[in-house]
Amino acid sequence: MLLKKVKGIHIEGRKSMSKSKHIYQDVHPQFVYIHLLQQTSPLKKMCEVGDHVLVGQTVAKREGFGEMPIHSSVSGTVTAFKKVWHSSGKMVEAIEIENDLKYKNDPSVVKEAHPDSLTKEQLVLKMKEAGLSGLGGAGFPTYVKYMSKSEIHTVIINAVECEPYLTCDLALFKIAPEKVLKGLKYFMNAIGAKKGIIGYKKYNHEYPDLINPLLKDFPNISLHPVKDVYPAGWEKYLVEQITGKTYSRLPAEAGVIVDNLATAMVFADVVENNMPLIKRAITITGEGIKHPQNFYVPIGTKVSDLVHIAGGYEKGLDPAKALYIAGGPMTGRAILIDDLIVNDTLGGVIVKPLPEEKNHPACLGCGKCSDVCPVFLAPTEIQRAFEMKDVESIKNLSADKCIACGLCSHICPSHIEITDYVVRAKDLLRKGA
Amino acid sequence: MARFANAKAPFVRLSEEKGKDTKTIMRDFGIGLSLVVLFAWFKNGILVYVNGDCTFLEMIYPMVFILLAGIMAVVMEAIYFYLTNPEAKTMKGLKKSLSTSYGFVPGVILALILPLYTPIWVLMFGVFMTTIVGKMLFGGFGNNIFNPALIGNIAIMFTLYGVVLAAGGFMNPSEVVIDAYAGATPLTLFSQLRTINYDALVAPYGSLWNFFFGTIPGTIGETSALVILIAYVWFVIRKVIKWFTPLIFIGVVFLLTWLIGIVNGEAGLWFPLYGILSGGLMYGAVFMSTEPVTTPRNPLGKVFFALFLGALTVLFRYIGVFPEGVATAIIVMNIFTMPIDKSTAMIRSSGLNKKTIVPFLMMVILLIGIMVYAVMKSRNLYTLAVLMIGGWF
Repeated sequence: MLLKKVKGIHIEGRKSMSKSKHIYQDVHPQFVYIHLLQQTSPLKKMCEVGDHVLVGQTVAKREGFGEMPIHSSVSGTVTAFKKVWHSSGKMVEAIEIENDLKYKNDPSVVKEAHPDSLTKEQLVLKMKEAGLSGLGGAGFPTYVKYMSKSEIHTVIINAVECEPYLTCDLALFKIAPEKVLKGLKYFMNAIGAKKGIIGYKKYNHEYPDLINPLLKDFPNISLHPVKDVYPAGWEKYLVEQITGKTYSRLPAEAGVIVDNLATAMVFADVVENNMPLIKRAITITGEGIKHPQNFYVPIGTKVSDLVHIAGGYEKGLDPAKALYIAGGPMTGRAILIDDLIVNDTLGGVIVKPLPEEKNHPACLGCGKCSDVCPVFLAPTEIQRAFEMKDVESIKNLSADKCIACGLCSHICPSHIEITDYVVRAKDLLRKGA
Repeated sequence: MARFANAKAPFVRLSEEKGKDTKTIMRDFGIGLSLVVLFAWFKNGILVYVNGDCTFLEMIYPMVFILLAGIMAVVMEAIYFYLTNPEAKTMKGLKKSLSTSYGFVPGVILALILPLYTPIWVLMFGVFMTTIVGKMLFGGFGNNIFNPALIGNIAIMFTLYGVVLAAGGFMNPSEVVIDAYAGATPLTLFSQLRTINYDALVAPYGSLWNFFFGTIPGTIGETSALVILIAYVWFVIRKVIKWFTPLIFIGVVFLLTWLIGIVNGEAGLWFPLYGILSGGLMYGAVFMSTEPVTTPRNPLGKVFFALFLGALTVLFRYIGVFPEGVATAIIVMNIFTMPIDKSTAMIRSSGLNKKTIVPFLMMVILLIGIMVYAVMKSRNLYTLAVLMIGGWF
């Protein structure tokens, strides 16, 4: 139908600042802070102040849905439990570990002799034991997806990275391309999928350049370019582009599982070395950073250390007139104090000056927000219903389908916080229901 | 540690860039509108002067008339802001309020759909109805329910039409001396004759090409389909309007008029072409049915809106008091903008289901009903319809 095709729109990438830079791995934080929060679930701590912990040792545990252990990213001593900033914009309790800089591994971290002969159950158990969660931004526990009862024929690796500014996935990929293929192979083994596809943005020629020579060792794996649009990295869009199928709630309905590129790379390590999720890639960039750069650091590192390595803030940057954004610029969050800690879902920190203040007129009703909405909502109608606290209408207008991609606010010519209205309407719906 | 500013995602916005904000949309709209203004001046001023039918001052008059409407609108808005908005008491605050209100535009749009010899005091009344009643009393830019310019236009038509006609009406000095016109615009002529006959309807004005180029009598700015088409293409390129709204509107009028021609024994394509080129249809379709504030916002809503506009325009042309149906149709549909917007938004987001099927069917049935009624009404086809239905059973 003419009016119902997700097209997405092209957004200027602004990735050139950090794209060509090598990934910086030589970061040795004095302290790391492991947040006692995964997605929205609080974690139970499994250590006490004074304990000596090793790299990969369990220090906390997620309970209930998606239960899994969370590991220490360095070796050293637990010195305190204190509240630190989290990328969700809140202060969150965290375990402070003083790094002894020895990086001594936990005994459980051993090389797997025959990684190819592991059974499905063993692989899924490994995902769970490694505390593997989606590194794309949602942080969903990976093993839950692989316990799916539906028949899965394809695993898709999401290497699209459609958010502007961010380049950490590409940078991480470049240091070890074969790891993506290995991770994908193990993912396919874990669910018995026959096909593996890596979806990437057309202009990122690094993917075919580096992967094609390796493909002969990995049958059933192929590459699939997608257009340079936002939100091309959205699961549903990617699945639709690659398989031509759509689904209503989970990709499993279309026989597909989608995982992030970085998750696959970590999974290769999980399977082969039993090394749990303890590091992630992050882009420190923006017009307010002197030398924007990509990092591969232990989870729990202070972002301020990374900013320091990246040359600090641009000279003359007035923090009160600048934004400190945790995550991508479309879906991220402004953090008020630059005291952020790297957590599993933090893919980037962007520092950029506030735009010039303009005198914006009221909504003129151009309808561009409806046009770009990838789930075909009418944001202005939801806003109207929200302002009248009309829960029934919010429900009828399907506000719950909103994926908070930010396109409606992005395109709004009158600078209206329309995404925020829809997100708040969604919250109201959840509370009202 | 430093304290940073707060803001909401997304942090990359087109409204922060140059040339993607509302100001640009209004500027692009202004450029399209100025094409029509220039043509209006060319046709009613320059061409008349070249023909030697008026003095130099009279040549400037159409331009003055149009600009005056815009200026009056801004002045009235300024007074309104000064009286109601405490922030607008200072020059700076007033400027700020005016800069986001775009008062000039509806004034000009109104002027373009008035007869050339509308007395200035009538124009002033029209501008008052447009900007104060039609726009500011609803809460200003972005909150009005009815197209402001049409409120002004209809207010004049309902109360002071006689005054306007007595003062000279539609004809510019060159047109008034052409006997064939007999002082009537094409649609007035049609409403008097109510007959479908090329020689009676089109021949007095030359050929349909004259309709297309706009050298026929009518209101100041509505006559030239060509200029309006150029403005349409410009709007579409600059994404000021959705491309399909005017096309659907004009398309429905075309098809219905054709159908009416056929049931009245005239199958020639000239009649539907005459139907879409005479009167203010082109102007209304490009400049008013797409006006963002008072029309539905989601694409499906726009489609329904345009379909209804087409059907109602034809209906009003055949049963209305006035020869023209576009203005009334748009005003009537403005009332239904909100319900259409909401129900189509529901249909679009969740498909046709138990909740959305009823409004959807209602809209479709109403639409078909209006179309059938308009066709039947065109030549008292009740008898024929009864016969047809009888035969069918």
